Amino acid sequence: MALPSVTTRRTPASWPRPSAGVVLVAPDLIYLTLILLAPLGMMAAHSLYTANSPGMTLANYARLADPYFLRLLGRTARIAFETTAICTILAYPLAYFLARASRGTATLGLVLLLTPLMVSPVVRAFGWMVLLDRQGLVLSLARGLGFTDARPLIYTETAVIIGLVHLLLPYLVLPLTASIERISPMLEEAARNLGAGSFALFRDVILPLSLPGLVSGALLVFVEALSAFVLPALLGGRKVRMIGNEVFDSLLVAFNQAQASTLTVVLVVLTIVTVGAGFGLSRMRGG
Amino acid sequence: MQRIGPVLSGTVVLIYGFILLPLVVILGVSFNASDRLDFPPTGLSLRWYETLLHQPPFLTALLTVSLPVGVGSAICSTLLGTLAALGLVRYRFPGRDALQAVTLLPLVVPHILLGASLYLWFANLGFSTSIGTLIIGHILIATPYVIRTVAAGLVGLDPFIEEAARDLGAGRLRCFFEVVVPQLRSSLISGAIFALIVSFSDINIALFVSGPETTTLPVYLFSKIQWESDPSVAAASAGQIVIIGLIILLIQQLFRARIGR
Repeated sequence: MALPSVTTRRTPASWPRPSAGVVLVAPDLIYLTLILLAPLGMMAAHSLYTANSPGMTLANYARLADPYFLRLLGRTARIAFETTAICTILAYPLAYFLARASRGTATLGLVLLLTPLMVSPVVRAFGWMVLLDRQGLVLSLARGLGFTDARPLIYTETAVIIGLVHLLLPYLVLPLTASIERISPMLEEAARNLGAGSFALFRDVILPLSLPGLVSGALLVFVEALSAFVLPALLGGRKVRMIGNEVFDSLLVAFNQAQASTLTVVLVVLTIVTVGAGFGLSRMRGG
Repeated sequence: MQRIGPVLSGTVVLIYGFILLPLVVILGVSFNASDRLDFPPTGLSLRWYETLLHQPPFLTALLTVSLPVGVGSAICSTLLGTLAALGLVRYRFPGRDALQAVTLLPLVVPHILLGASLYLWFANLGFSTSIGTLIIGHILIATPYVIRTVAAGLVGLDPFIEEAARDLGAGRLRCFFEVVVPQLRSSLISGAIFALIVSFSDINIALFVSGPETTTLPVYLFSKIQWESDPSVAAASAGQIVIIGLIILLIQQLFRARIGR
């Protein structure tokens, strides 16, 4: 996430004082304080109060220990985990291909990978709704292949995971491609000459050397999946709800600000813990 | 060059099929002749596009909300983001790393939570939903993309060109506008396009800060898909895909013409 940095060869004496940097960043900082930090802070504060007790309390958090919320949290974590796992399996062949293909092919591959990113998640979820529905292509294919008792996938966890994998796969493929590009093809040749098969090559060369890209991409996918809203709303229906759906409904349907705020804090903490753990892990490996 | 075996090629083709399938389905359904969401389409017609042109909510969402909001947030976030990128890349000061982390924070915090907290914030401040609240929300998520793009562009600049301009007597502002900005043009334009696309396809913020009068195209599509989906929704979705494509093409052309001059 670090930005590159270049300072000109001019000394601070000829350029304005170093604090000019702060002045340039200031408008964005003021903006972020008013529109990001203050609202999130207010939500954190909301989560500590209830309507019927005057002081600060953790009652809102205690309420999350209820079986309904525990199931919700468990389901959200499970879906995010499975999405990440499937993305990893799909991302490796694709990233390896993009890293090793000729320039023209790789460019075409990247364009095809990135174009869907610009289309609204709503539109992409709609495509899957049509495919996974009762009259959809997937079901008639399954029945055609002899699975006569196949059931439509729409409104199941599988449907939500398919949609999330589709939405988030590029986030994993991009850093992974960058990592694999840095592995010298000569290393692969050496491994091959020493008798390594494709699987051994992957396990002993590609996987360990591409681990940093894998970790950063997988973290992004996991965190994005944790906070999914549109996909579970459209592909999961009433049955497969995730934290994001609960936040939305408690705010805009039930007008329960305290509950929405509490869930928000839980989700932010989950996100920070995941990202922190991931960075710790990759640093340990690197060091 | 490493050879890419048939097994790998086959797998890659299948994965691309998976990636493109839903978009192909949307386009297919939108040309459907029947009233159902049939794919493959049972007959071809343009009737759903025609229906769309007679649907005021769709036209309002697209022309008076999504496009102006997209352009407005692209302009504002390009300004904010360019200034921030300049400050972060060109200057060293205490706390620079921390500031940098803060400016990229909207990429890390889940967008659904940004939307929810903005909803509560605006409600507490007594703001009602409008084009303005949408633009304010979209600037938040678009600016980090501008910062990253412009920062990458700044790194590629040759500091000697600026030094030469300064040595030849150009003032700091003149040097910035006549030397730095022209060299940064491609980064600025791609930053602005990123911002426009982020705004145009956003749903998580818009769901919370758009009102009945200011429904963006994705929000319109979302509620329509949830309650009554007919092939006209597919036509509208196809419209979203086509508009994004057109924006990219148009700006690319504009950009190429400029470079050629």
